Amino acid sequence: MALLEIRDLCVDYLMQEGSVHAVDHVSLTLEEGSSLGLVGESGSGKSTLGMAILRLLPEKTARVTGSAVFQGEELLTMPESRLRQVRWQELAAVFQKSMNALSPVHRIGSQMADVYRLHHPEADKAACRARVLEVLRQVDLAERVYKLYPHELSGGMMQRVSIALSLINHPRLVIFDEATTALDVITQGQILKEIQRLEKDLGLTRMMITHDISVVATSCTHVAVLYAGRLMEVGPAASVLRSPAHPYTAGLMAAFPSLTGEKKPLQGIPGFLPDLTQTIPGCVFAPRCPYATEACRTAQPPLESIEPGWQAACHHRLREVNNHG
Amino acid sequence: MKRYLLKRVTTGLLTVLIAIVLNFFLIHIAPGDPIRIMAGMDHPSSEQLEALYVRYGLDKPLLVQLGQYIVNLLHGDFGTSYTYNKPVVSLILETMGPSILLALTSCVLAFVLGTLLGLFAARHQGRWMDNLLSYVSYLFDSMPPFWLGLVAILVFASTLHWLPTSGMVNLRNPQQGFGYVLDVLTHLLLPCATMTLIQIPQYLRLTRSSVTQVMQEDYIITFRATGMSEKTIFRRYVLKNAILPTLTAFGISLAYVVAGAALVEIVYAWPGTGRLMLNAINRRDYPLLMGIYLMIAISVSVITMIVDILYAWLDPRIRLK
Repeated sequence: MALLEIRDLCVDYLMQEGSVHAVDHVSLTLEEGSSLGLVGESGSGKSTLGMAILRLLPEKTARVTGSAVFQGEELLTMPESRLRQVRWQELAAVFQKSMNALSPVHRIGSQMADVYRLHHPEADKAACRARVLEVLRQVDLAERVYKLYPHELSGGMMQRVSIALSLINHPRLVIFDEATTALDVITQGQILKEIQRLEKDLGLTRMMITHDISVVATSCTHVAVLYAGRLMEVGPAASVLRSPAHPYTAGLMAAFPSLTGEKKPLQGIPGFLPDLTQTIPGCVFAPRCPYATEACRTAQPPLESIEPGWQAACHHRLREVNNHG
Repeated sequence: MKRYLLKRVTTGLLTVLIAIVLNFFLIHIAPGDPIRIMAGMDHPSSEQLEALYVRYGLDKPLLVQLGQYIVNLLHGDFGTSYTYNKPVVSLILETMGPSILLALTSCVLAFVLGTLLGLFAARHQGRWMDNLLSYVSYLFDSMPPFWLGLVAILVFASTLHWLPTSGMVNLRNPQQGFGYVLDVLTHLLLPCATMTLIQIPQYLRLTRSSVTQVMQEDYIITFRATGMSEKTIFRRYVLKNAILPTLTAFGISLAYVVAGAALVEIVYAWPGTGRLMLNAINRRDYPLLMGIYLMIAISVSVITMIVDILYAWLDPRIRLK
């Protein structure tokens, strides 16, 4: 059984002028021990998807429908009391702005100990402290970080603190929401390596939300490409990134420089995200797609299998074009 | 920390010195003349006036007068009041006790009640209790303190006869020991309530907006994601972060309340420094006025210094600077 099974997840942000369809019928499966990179440009709904699974969206302004079954339990309708148990013991997260991830006027160690004690009420002071020091060591931080304040650390160190905090209660699944975006490439590379090492040691499953396709290429087993709230392509990272089946995936990759390959001029994707308050009948990417035909504008392409575990939603899949040509 | 303290004390002393010079010139530039007021309506001759100017040293150039004043200050001589004919220091010391009693109790009460109400409003944001509190707070915020004082006297003293109208003790029936304390407390109740009510709104609104702001911080989302209950998040993390701006406001109002209480002190005939100051202004009693202003300047610097140190203790981000 999959660790996390998302089916037809929709998130609408309710506003006075109408609702924004931020996530539109997305289905994803996360196998135990795998790592899924969720990529897309700003506004594609990738962070919204993560926050919806974590149940952190404001209930008044965000309507979430569909299902997200985690270890056999439905997350979206789970009662508050059960949710509080699942949170951080089984499902943890590392957030975008790690500099603000902890309270500025409390010591880092005491905040982390607070979170540990939450799920281990029997633990005494020494046990909490020991556990905090243990996870700090796991992310290569010195013991003295325990008694420091967040502003006394660099961005990279705070990112490690955030990762250490996410590990403190031995979760099964960790969602990284743009967790390395604010870091320089060197620090990002180090942290990605550490994350992969921890994953192996601790048997973690990971969902990595990022706009940086190179992060997915270096650190994820699977990739899901999101555009305007809809799933464009999903499959094993190696296959998808080697020869993408969806024109949007290909466009995203052409917009990133290759470190090892030949030097080619970078190509952007012309145009902007569509207006998400409108219901779009055809493919959401059609207005920007070089292959779009009339069919793309009228009928929404379904997700179709290319290989087992690899699907793309496109009427003109590049993979097939490649195969035939 | 030691260097920080030293710097704070030096800037504090400098502030007081600048305040002395500015106050001195402001008082002397302002229209009105203590000698004319002293001489009254009897159409004094110019020789008589001249003699008075010479006697009080007001015939000399302003800069010379200022120099003389500062030299006297350094010798511990704050001058003699023109109107009371008593040393300025003893006049201020006599009135400072009652003033501090009134100011401190009302400031602390307003801080505690205002912050509690603000926390309550923030937790019930958008609901009817929050709306009611905000309407009432605007009402009291826009009320002149002396007007509220007069209404309170009219209702609770003149009509209902529950409380005395004015003064700090009942002069017709002097009490000893516990009776004295009780007497002062009954006299304190109305002026203190007036000043508390006037000051509550600023704490209420400041706390409410500060809590609202902190609730939107990223770390609140972190704690929510860890499964921490809203109650625990609020008590352990929101409170300490939200209280900081309120503390600054408390320090400022504590520092200025000595002067600010003047109108309330007048309405209730409270024997405080504020009332003394208004009398000194009306009669252009230069030495007394300078003395009171000096005391206000000193208390403002001392209290802001204490608040700054307290702030640095509560907020580790300040300590570095």
